[in-house]
Amino acid sequence: MEEFFQQLTNGLAVGGIYALIALGYTMVYGVLKLINFAHGDLFTIGSYLGLTLLTSLFLSDRLGPGAGIVVLALMVMGLVALVGALLERVAYRPLRHSPRLSAVVSALGASIFFSNTLMLIYGARFQVYPQGILPKTAIDLFGLYVPLVRVLILGASVVMMIALYAFIQKTKIGTAIRAAAIDQDAARLMGIDVNRVILMVFLIGPALGGAAGLMVGLHYGQINFTMGWVYGLKAFTAAILGGIGNIPGAMVGGILLGVIEALGAAYLSIAWKDAIAFGVLIFILIVRPTGLLGERVAEKV
Amino acid sequence: MKKGLIALMALCLLVGGAMAAMADTVKIGLMGPMTGPWASEGQEMKQVLDLLAADLNAKGGVLGKKVEVIADDDGGDPRTAALAAQRLATQGIVAVIGTYGSSVTEATQNIYNESKILQIANGSTAIRLSEKGLKYFFRTCPRDDEQGRVAVQAIEKLGFKTVAILHDNTTYAKGLADEAKGLLEGKGIKIVFFDALTPGERDYTAILTKLKGANPDVVFFTGYYPEAGLLLRQKKEMNWNVPFIGGDATNNPDLVKIAGKDAAQGFYFLSAPLPKDLPSPEAKAFLDEFTKKYGNAPNSIYAVLAGDGFRVITAAIQATQSTDPDKLADYLHKELKEFAGLTGKIAFNEKGDRVGEVYRVYKVDAEGNFILQP
Repeated sequence: MEEFFQQLTNGLAVGGIYALIALGYTMVYGVLKLINFAHGDLFTIGSYLGLTLLTSLFLSDRLGPGAGIVVLALMVMGLVALVGALLERVAYRPLRHSPRLSAVVSALGASIFFSNTLMLIYGARFQVYPQGILPKTAIDLFGLYVPLVRVLILGASVVMMIALYAFIQKTKIGTAIRAAAIDQDAARLMGIDVNRVILMVFLIGPALGGAAGLMVGLHYGQINFTMGWVYGLKAFTAAILGGIGNIPGAMVGGILLGVIEALGAAYLSIAWKDAIAFGVLIFILIVRPTGLLGERVAEKV
Repeated sequence: MKKGLIALMALCLLVGGAMAAMADTVKIGLMGPMTGPWASEGQEMKQVLDLLAADLNAKGGVLGKKVEVIADDDGGDPRTAALAAQRLATQGIVAVIGTYGSSVTEATQNIYNESKILQIANGSTAIRLSEKGLKYFFRTCPRDDEQGRVAVQAIEKLGFKTVAILHDNTTYAKGLADEAKGLLEGKGIKIVFFDALTPGERDYTAILTKLKGANPDVVFFTGYYPEAGLLLRQKKEMNWNVPFIGGDATNNPDLVKIAGKDAAQGFYFLSAPLPKDLPSPEAKAFLDEFTKKYGNAPNSIYAVLAGDGFRVITAAIQATQSTDPDKLADYLHKELKEFAGLTGKIAFNEKGDRVGEVYRVYKVDAEGNFILQP
């Protein structure tokens, strides 16, 4: 039983990161019906920017570890959001009225461009975050050994997700995003500036992806320019699992995928971990073709 | 207009022909992971070959011609590698050096063999690569049955009774894991865990939690250094103090950077001698020159082994006065003996495997240095 809970916490921490990245996929898909394959690389850019800022500005020395990391996270999120907006402007907006396949190819191209640019700037070797920025203490939870960092990661992910959900549900811009997701033309007729909505989506999604990148860097320490691919693929799966285009779905899908992976590795086979995760995905798609929470997409089609 | 076009084409042909005649060089291919997860290995391979080729050309090249290194990228991926091999095979190369990963090499072996191009792998230690009877395949690195033997010897010597084996399902890691498993069972040492992780991920805590449940005396990880570094780091975070032994693919200074010095301390791994422990005067001179040109000594022994591949093939071309693949292969199989390589004496057996050289056991100390174990 102890091992079960240990694995559950392992899975939750991984799932929180998947969920944060999945939000970027699902928001873009919701509004543009485009799978932004470059999103995983925006995540990687976040972790590289985090490393550069961390080592060049000495934030944690100047502001103390807690405030330093918060400021660092805000800076990374802001910069990655800018990159995301630029990506939309350069790679997607000119193709908005082209066939959908063109935009997908453009997304794949952007992904390759980003990862190779990172390689040329930072080199092909693994980059490593300095040690000892985060506290190494662990919490003793009823005999369960949980490193504090994992709790913080999950906590930060959940806070950001709830903030995003509130933003989408309660604010005027959020309402505009939802309207544009349902029907762009009707939204435009209602006086919504759809271009601004899309820009907004490309600011928020990458910002969350960048935050996830920073968290991965801070916690796991090791980053390299190809890591966006695996995380992107998993997050994309999570978005589909939860119902792509649906924001709570991405959160549920991400966390569920992390937990399935951890428990699958623990009780079935480590080598079959991904096969189990994707098997569950296929099963859910057979039973519920729109994903767990993906009803709205079905209504539309 | 049409006439003009024909004249232009004729001119192109003429100039092209003249260029080809002028650029008459002996071409040696290099296939390495210039991009992808092992890119640091591939880029160092290229640095080594560029340096050696420049040296050789300064001394007059071979057969009175300059040597030209044509590099292509295998991406550390079998599919990319097959394309790279097809490109290289059409460029008139005599031999190709590379590559690092066994599964990547395996994807290209037949392409080179059918094109009668000698292939000298530098890091591919999987056993079956040289068991296919391919005439033009050689390697400067040792084989995993040798590595497995040394691993088991080390485990026995350190007195471990129960062993967990973890691999990553690549040709190399799985082969070494299977080899070690068979040998350990033969010695009556119990295997309490045998499974594979997925390389390229960041979080291996689920696997470590499961490993911990099996309660082994030692964990033998046969995969590559990026994952080994993360495993060590996350093991430390879990407060689990089991010793780890790695295969020769964990031999890279980046391992310590990834894991952190405190987590890497006490990690054992098997390897051909590291660049810094190379004894011969040739190696010393080469290391000095490399450091002078690139600012640091080579990190990876596989890059140096690629250099040995290059030195062996150019020596064979010089000795046979020929670039005929059959003559060269015969020479390497039969006549090349006691060749003074950077990594020690080199000779090949009839399978194209390197003979002689044995693995060493290394241990990481508190400062993150790799210390040769007696």
